[in-house]
Amino acid sequence: MANKTIPVYLFTGFLDGGKTTFLQNVLQDTRFQNGDRTLIVQCEEGEVELDTAKIKGKLSVLSIGSPETLTADRLQEAFDKARAERVCVEYNGMWPIGDLIQNLPRNWQIYQVMMNVDATTFDVYLNNMRPQMLDKLSLTEMVGFNRCPKDVDKQAFHDAVRAVNRRCDILFEYEDGNIDYDDLPNELPWDMEADLLQIEDADFGMLYLDAMDRPETYDGKTIELLVQAAVSKKLPPNTFIGGRFCMTCCEEDASYIGFPCEYPMLEAIPHRGFVRLTAKVRCDRHFVYQDGNPGIILQVQSVEMVPTPDDIYVYYR
Amino acid sequence: MTVIDIFSGFLGAGKTTLIKKLIKEAYAGQKLVLIENEFGEIGIDGGFMQEAGVQVNELNSGCICCSLVGDFREALRQVLDTYAPERILIEPSGVGKLSDIVKAVKAVCDEQVTLGAFVTVADAGKCRMYMKNFGEFYNDQVENASTIVLSRTQNLSDDKIAAAVAQLREHNATATIVTTPWDELSGAQLTEAMAGGTQMAAALLEEAHHHHDHECGCGHHHDHEHHHDHECGCGHHHDHEHHHDHECGCGHHHDHEHHHDHECGCGHHHDHEHHHDHECGCGHHHEHEHHHHHADEVFTSWGRETARRYTEQELRDMLTALDGDEYGSVLRAKGILPAVGGGWWHFDYVPFEQEIRTGTADYTGRLCVIGANLDEAALATLFMVD
Repeated sequence: MANKTIPVYLFTGFLDGGKTTFLQNVLQDTRFQNGDRTLIVQCEEGEVELDTAKIKGKLSVLSIGSPETLTADRLQEAFDKARAERVCVEYNGMWPIGDLIQNLPRNWQIYQVMMNVDATTFDVYLNNMRPQMLDKLSLTEMVGFNRCPKDVDKQAFHDAVRAVNRRCDILFEYEDGNIDYDDLPNELPWDMEADLLQIEDADFGMLYLDAMDRPETYDGKTIELLVQAAVSKKLPPNTFIGGRFCMTCCEEDASYIGFPCEYPMLEAIPHRGFVRLTAKVRCDRHFVYQDGNPGIILQVQSVEMVPTPDDIYVYYR
Repeated sequence: MTVIDIFSGFLGAGKTTLIKKLIKEAYAGQKLVLIENEFGEIGIDGGFMQEAGVQVNELNSGCICCSLVGDFREALRQVLDTYAPERILIEPSGVGKLSDIVKAVKAVCDEQVTLGAFVTVADAGKCRMYMKNFGEFYNDQVENASTIVLSRTQNLSDDKIAAAVAQLREHNATATIVTTPWDELSGAQLTEAMAGGTQMAAALLEEAHHHHDHECGCGHHHDHEHHHDHECGCGHHHDHEHHHDHECGCGHHHDHEHHHDHECGCGHHHDHEHHHDHECGCGHHHEHEHHHHHADEVFTSWGRETARRYTEQELRDMLTALDGDEYGSVLRAKGILPAVGGGWWHFDYVPFEQEIRTGTADYTGRLCVIGANLDEAALATLFMVD
């Protein structure tokens, strides 16, 4: 029993975002109700309460009021007691998603992540609480914007989502209940068909996300970009990392993201030095991509050392 | 001299709207600087601010994770040095802690800079839910506020507002809580509330003194209290209370003080009040025993703030009920309360005399009763504020 994989369905979004209503609909959906016992973990107490009477399947609810009490033991205990077979988590929008992932019992596996967002407050919340919004948005497989006005600016929502999540489904629910799917193309700021892909500093975050998402499209392309080098003995021979510190919100949350760069004259590359490089891209598995999936590898053709720029950071914007 | 006011509150609570109202209605003519630390919903309207002569400084690092105290202090110092304004309004990040901002502001305070109000704007319909789910930073905003201004109360029932106030009170027992819809209040009324409001109970007790001095009922004229102490009019000379306790002059023997204390605290022994009223022994007729004493020694006050709306008939019935003796000996009552259907009632009450008129709004409904042996629970029930 302990080794059987337990599916976890994760419902994220901010307070007032419509999570409970969405969860209610999912639980009432006959396609979801296959007779399995479900444990509902509620980490938020919003305006709307789950109406369990309307749900046919067997379920029990565990309420968690503070992130400190979100522990694997507590989750497991409730799960066993409910003799559940799967889990739906309604997660608190203010708590870091990492707190949940780290505290899931070992054989629990996140099957699906869905996010519900109130379109009327999205902007303000995103601008003022970037880390809280983006950690969920970047993980989700579907984001539903509800309470959309008729003339909703789909492009603005599309761009905001695509800055951190290249693949998820985006849908718009209007005030009258109608639903529209986002079918806007994922436009890139650079021309994929050009002989040379010139990546501006501002687009580094976008390149990273897009290349992680569909590395094969970059195979064989030639690319030019500015990186900050990371040189380490732990890397394979003749390899450094060309990356940037990317900021979600402020210096405290900046993290280094980058690609493996193959270059025979490694001694010419100072650790943390800024390098403008031109490289041929190869899509392959690599030591750096620890999940075993292929990623892009830059075969460096030329390098130019440049002074440290005034702003060393790039942004997910 | 610069006064610094802080306007905290969660995103979308209405901070910017409140600040704009105050700039227009209360701070007109003052040299103001507004420090913004939030990516606002209502972009700060440059034209409006320019017209109002307000310098706007934006500090765009308003996220939860930033401990911006260091930067903030520096920015504040710079504003003081550059503009020397009369007033600085700070709109901190909606997801920041008010206590952090207060700390930063206190650090720059000197003889030239004083703290004004720490206002927290809270959406009345949402504060319960926010308190429950946000935890620390939200509660910090509530706990450290000197004034809590509720927004969007016009959309809520009396019960919902009362519930919101009760929840906020659990985290802040002393702040002035503004429950009146902003449209009904002038900027001056809001700043008065922010300055702590007027103390209705204190004012009434003060009035009662006054009332007492002139209308003792003992048939003597008393200029002021001290006069009264010495020339009570009962025909006895009392140096001080103890003396008074033991030689009451009412013709009864009193063994000890405790004995007196059990009764009404006025220092007289009364088998019961009526007895006293009729057989005081001082030769004067007193309506009741309290006329011998300072108002605040004997009277207690009971006051409540409420956003409940009343009809005129409800108020009449309530005040008429005070004429009976089931709520204690009510001497005076006064209040400003919102009216059902809009507008405000102002009422004044002395036994068997009530006046109810319409008047201007107050920051919240307030009522106060003074008298002796007040049954507070019964009063709360009577006025529907329990």
